[in-house]
Amino acid sequence: MGNRLDRDEAMGGIVIFLFGTVTALLSLKMPIGTFRTAGTGMFPLCLGILLMILAGTFILKLLLQEKKIPSKKESTVEISGSRKPMIYFLGAMVLATLLFNQLGYPLISFLLMLGLLRILGMKRWALNILLSFMTAVASYFLFVQWLQIPLPKGFIGL
Amino acid sequence: MGSEEELMFESLQHLVNGFGIAATVQNLLYCLIGCIVGTLIGVLPGIGPIAGIALLIPATFGLNPTSAIIMLAGIYYGAMYGGSTTSILLNVPGETASVITCIDGYQMAQKGRAGPALATCAIGSFIAGTIGIFGLVFIAPPLAEAALAFGPPEYFSLMVFGFIVLSNVTGTSLIKSLMMAVVGLIIGTIGIDPVTGDARFTFGSISLLSGIEFVAVAIGLFGIGEVLINVEKPSEMLEQRVLVPRLRELYPTLQDFKKSIGPILRGAGIGFGVGLVPGPAPVIATYSSYMIERKISKNPEEFGKGAIEGVAGPESANNSACQSAFIPLFVLGIPFAPPTAILLGALLIHGVNPGPMMIGQHPELFWGVIASMYIGNFILLILNLPFVPLFANILRIPKKVLLPLVILFCITGMYTVNNSVFDIWMMLLFGAMGFLMRKWAYEGAPLLLALVLGPKLEIAFRQSLMISHGDFGVFVNRPISMVFLLATAIFLIFPAVRLMFKKSKKGGI
Repeated sequence: MGNRLDRDEAMGGIVIFLFGTVTALLSLKMPIGTFRTAGTGMFPLCLGILLMILAGTFILKLLLQEKKIPSKKESTVEISGSRKPMIYFLGAMVLATLLFNQLGYPLISFLLMLGLLRILGMKRWALNILLSFMTAVASYFLFVQWLQIPLPKGFIGL
Repeated sequence: MGSEEELMFESLQHLVNGFGIAATVQNLLYCLIGCIVGTLIGVLPGIGPIAGIALLIPATFGLNPTSAIIMLAGIYYGAMYGGSTTSILLNVPGETASVITCIDGYQMAQKGRAGPALATCAIGSFIAGTIGIFGLVFIAPPLAEAALAFGPPEYFSLMVFGFIVLSNVTGTSLIKSLMMAVVGLIIGTIGIDPVTGDARFTFGSISLLSGIEFVAVAIGLFGIGEVLINVEKPSEMLEQRVLVPRLRELYPTLQDFKKSIGPILRGAGIGFGVGLVPGPAPVIATYSSYMIERKISKNPEEFGKGAIEGVAGPESANNSACQSAFIPLFVLGIPFAPPTAILLGALLIHGVNPGPMMIGQHPELFWGVIASMYIGNFILLILNLPFVPLFANILRIPKKVLLPLVILFCITGMYTVNNSVFDIWMMLLFGAMGFLMRKWAYEGAPLLLALVLGPKLEIAFRQSLMISHGDFGVFVNRPISMVFLLATAIFLIFPAVRLMFKKSKKGGI
């Protein structure tokens, strides 16, 4: 496995193989039945085995293929992005989901915007707060007031 | 012959009634909203038609099914129109079907001819969309009659054929796409078993009893995943310079029109044919049209340097394919592409089960939606010509503002589907999965299609075996089913044979 994509592809293949294995094992705990009267577990069992075969073939193919020596050009093609903002970004979404019911929609939309804008490099606090506030107010009026969608009110009761 | 003419006459009569339904104030308004939102989705990189349609499904809950599908269909073909704007002005395709437009469209923009390029896109799309709709009117009813002969084995084989073809034409590796399709089918088995009523893979969770919400998968894979990829890019790559043409620069010359009309008509024909077969029809249609135009051109050397034919043909093919993609969805109840898979989900949510009986059972929906597409094409023509500078200006919104807005809409939209935070968790999970899939070069389209079709496939599989008392021969003993399976085998064997042929040729040299 000469380059990074091969390693990543192999990693993906292994994860998928494990997913197929777990599916097949869990399916065996359900009634399998016969082909004439298939039980609950028959279809997922077939799919789990099929996935294991496909993923196994894929991994084997990667292992057998000739090792590539990455050329200078190849190694510079990939965009080297930073993982940090992405992880913070995902973290902010997880936090917002955790607190969605407790804080309520208007507050969570304001805080989420504030956090995400900051993560993406909006350094000026005043502008950041203004944009977040405007978005929270606009989305509140659009979804809650106009479209009458029952979104969580939270402790502020809006 | 007489009955065919009768059917055609009946279709035209229904189409006229459809115009009556589509032209009501309410439906016109939803068509307009769909077209505007679709154009915006097409213009803005970071959110494509799949996530866009999925996000707006909750907004249609209060509507009748006809108005809802009119709006959602408007988003689909509106996005195709909008996608060309970013391709031409920025060299960034708003959605995958516009990738090919970048080649000559951006070159035209660099030469100060962005206006004629955009106008040609709009006019070509309008003509092709119109041809596509008439094709739909005349092909859908006879096909629906023929599809009445389909039983569970035929449906099973047709769906398998669809998966194999889609997997063959998406992404770089057939095996990876097939793996994604099987993963989608497995995810589709979560919830209540459609035959026995037992719970599967729910781990005691009540929320999982109804299965994984397909909207969560669509928004996660195609919305959140895309945003995360954009966030990971270096910040300087998030901003781009936008060339905005002035209104008076928009109109093409007579020479441009003469050069474009042939490619437009050919593109419409290619697109219509491609839309009928499984796969990402608009993408394949644009590539095919571009290749054909370059091949038959008297000046092939101009392609890639700003040839208007390279914009007119693919953009027409793109829109025509969008229209014909509705045929398998409405007539067979089987979507062959991810956006129509989302529309299938929307139809099911609204209590409409598409298939051969749909034209008879829901004529107002079928003909109303078809007529609305024609009206929608006209709306888009009006929107796209004078308002191009306005849409182009939207591209000035910095991505660091746009991406958080997309996330907020995704979370809000997801919650409104079932008023459940659990669905947001699912969306985030599939968002992370979509990000990893993009990093590891796995395609999301086969997974989504398999998820939507999974329950139908399982029912068809189990019913077929029940009919045949467990004999797998049922899939090959019935002629229609056998034809689909033969076609599937050809699609599976062809890449391997081609590879072997290439290798032996290489070895020979």
